[in-house]
Amino acid sequence: MKPTAGGQYRPLTDQGVRKIHESALTLLSEIGVEVHSKPAFETFQKKGAVCDASKKLVKMSRSMVEDAIAKAPKKVVLCGREEKHDLYCEGKNVYLGTGGTVLNVIDLETDQKRQTLLKDVRDIARLCDALENVHFVVLPVYPNDLPPHEVDINRFHSSIMNCSKHLMGGIYTLKGTLDVIKMAETIAGSSRSLRERPFVSFITCVVSPLKIDDLYGDILYHIAQMGMPVAIPAEPLTGATSPVTIAGLLTGLHAETLSGLVLTQLVNPGTPVLYACTATSTDLRTMGYVSGSVEMGLINAGAAAMAQYLNLPNYTTAGMSDSKIVDTQNGYEKAITNVLVALSGSNFIHDAAGLVEFASTASYKQYVIDNEIIGMVMRAVRGIEVSDETIAIDAYRRAGPGGNFLSDPHTVQWMRREHYIPKLSDRQLRVNWEKSGRPCVEEKAKAIAGTILKEHEPLGLPRELSDQLRKMFPEIRP
Amino acid sequence: MEVLQKISEELQKGNYQQVPKLVQEALSARIPPAKILSDGLVAGMDVVGDKFRRDEFFMPEVLISARAMQAGMDILRPRLVETGVKLAGKVVLGTVKGDLHDIGKNLVGMLMEGAGFQVIDLGIDVPSERFVDAVKSNQANILGLSALLTTTMPRMKEVIDSLMEAGIRQRVKVMVGGAPVTEKFARDIGADGYAPDAASAVEKVRGLIG
Repeated sequence: MKPTAGGQYRPLTDQGVRKIHESALTLLSEIGVEVHSKPAFETFQKKGAVCDASKKLVKMSRSMVEDAIAKAPKKVVLCGREEKHDLYCEGKNVYLGTGGTVLNVIDLETDQKRQTLLKDVRDIARLCDALENVHFVVLPVYPNDLPPHEVDINRFHSSIMNCSKHLMGGIYTLKGTLDVIKMAETIAGSSRSLRERPFVSFITCVVSPLKIDDLYGDILYHIAQMGMPVAIPAEPLTGATSPVTIAGLLTGLHAETLSGLVLTQLVNPGTPVLYACTATSTDLRTMGYVSGSVEMGLINAGAAAMAQYLNLPNYTTAGMSDSKIVDTQNGYEKAITNVLVALSGSNFIHDAAGLVEFASTASYKQYVIDNEIIGMVMRAVRGIEVSDETIAIDAYRRAGPGGNFLSDPHTVQWMRREHYIPKLSDRQLRVNWEKSGRPCVEEKAKAIAGTILKEHEPLGLPRELSDQLRKMFPEIRP
Repeated sequence: MEVLQKISEELQKGNYQQVPKLVQEALSARIPPAKILSDGLVAGMDVVGDKFRRDEFFMPEVLISARAMQAGMDILRPRLVETGVKLAGKVVLGTVKGDLHDIGKNLVGMLMEGAGFQVIDLGIDVPSERFVDAVKSNQANILGLSALLTTTMPRMKEVIDSLMEAGIRQRVKVMVGGAPVTEKFARDIGADGYAPDAASAVEKVRGLIG
């Protein structure tokens, strides 16, 4: 898919970006980061960071950070198993997709909230395989019916079986991570093929403020050693794990995600990484996490600007809502954050499809609705094409003063390219809308999701390969 | 009483340096400790609570008032105990073993202090034995357990079982909370109470200890 570039919206000035960057360097060199992972800490120590083992504290100098930024690739290609799904994460190319690893889902048939199961991992992957505006799948749900040590391999395996788009996922154990890489290498044909065309990637979080924990520090260390692509987000929350001001949050975020990036480049220079942000604001009444605030959009658009300053491929978050139902709040929250972050030109905007209720719950019908929202958002990112052809003076000559363009060949030729054709928006006159039974977005979305799940056949894997994988990993559920 | 009014006002502003000084002043003026508590500190927190319920005050404002309350209580508590005033209670709080999340727990602790409870916060990643020891040594009447991960929630039951094994389950009311925790889960593991957020946790605890 030819990338579409954004970047028309930037909520920071040049001066603001520089000031945040410099301040983040101050955080890293003066306050430092606690690093609880032994191999990660030792790496920093060996490579000359100022370390205090008793406090597990690592202080990084400006030159250490700048060195790492210089070594990090400026382009990360996250591949699908079909080339048309490849994502060119560089500059201001914009892609949007799913996210979450949530524990709950709104069932399509019953409309009730229930726990997510492996079946949902499969079904949602297949649903997203068919939705044209979902550019990638960040594994969205957790299979509550599996024992913890079988989760990683099954989440990835089931998704690979049902979706040929790029699959990025959080992971829960080191063994699980290594198994997933091994499985992907087998599918790709070799370790080298997988590195050349990585169709899976990972997410490991830094803990705000300023802490790399033991489990994810270890996992990040190993992923870097293995040279697989990884997003390293931090999730500061305003007033809770960062200052309540957005610039304060961005300063912490910048320091935190860069601290992860530095680790990867120290372990294995050239490791493909994504500067990453999952930050948002809080509800001041409870200091609880909110996902649909306008500040969330500003924050992630700001994070994109910070990454662009360093020319780093980046991962951000948008398109969610705190509403529990498909209502107006659901619509405006998702639209506002999606449009702000997409226009900012972020490369990999996740959580943008399928989530409701503070990012705690996935919803089948929501994927279809969000597919529509993203379609509109991408049309905005595409912007206005100006050329002799689009200006169409000839069409004016044909129409003349007082004429019309309704059946002009130019209209027919350009109309589909130029205009987003919504599947869900109702544009009928009231009389017709009444006649057609007062359709609404929610019902239409449910019907479309149902049809896709009934009919869509994904690429899957060849039988022999499937069998081979099940022999290698007996915990894989068919 | 002017100084009591001032205590209430400074508490509402979250002035944790002034409030203990004013409490000392009130004590020196021979105002009974119970009256300093009710007409000074609690009166101030009541206004704060009221404003919070009306969305005029947000959580950070409640927290700084709670801090001021606690600073005042540090001076007042020993005098209250002397004069035989019954205190709200002692709460042991902690995030269960294997879990590092603490902001929600910290919020609960701060609001409990604001409500006049004495809070012993054991921090994060706390094994059952430490909870049991802390309940015993502090003679706590409330134990609050927090978890944010489905994988660590089962530890909550372990803690309750440990309390039973130690023969002290009856001595303490156990509350559980955290994003994946539910009312049903609380009942299933034999906890005494559950609350979905910090503010209602305080209410629930008050209800539990009567």
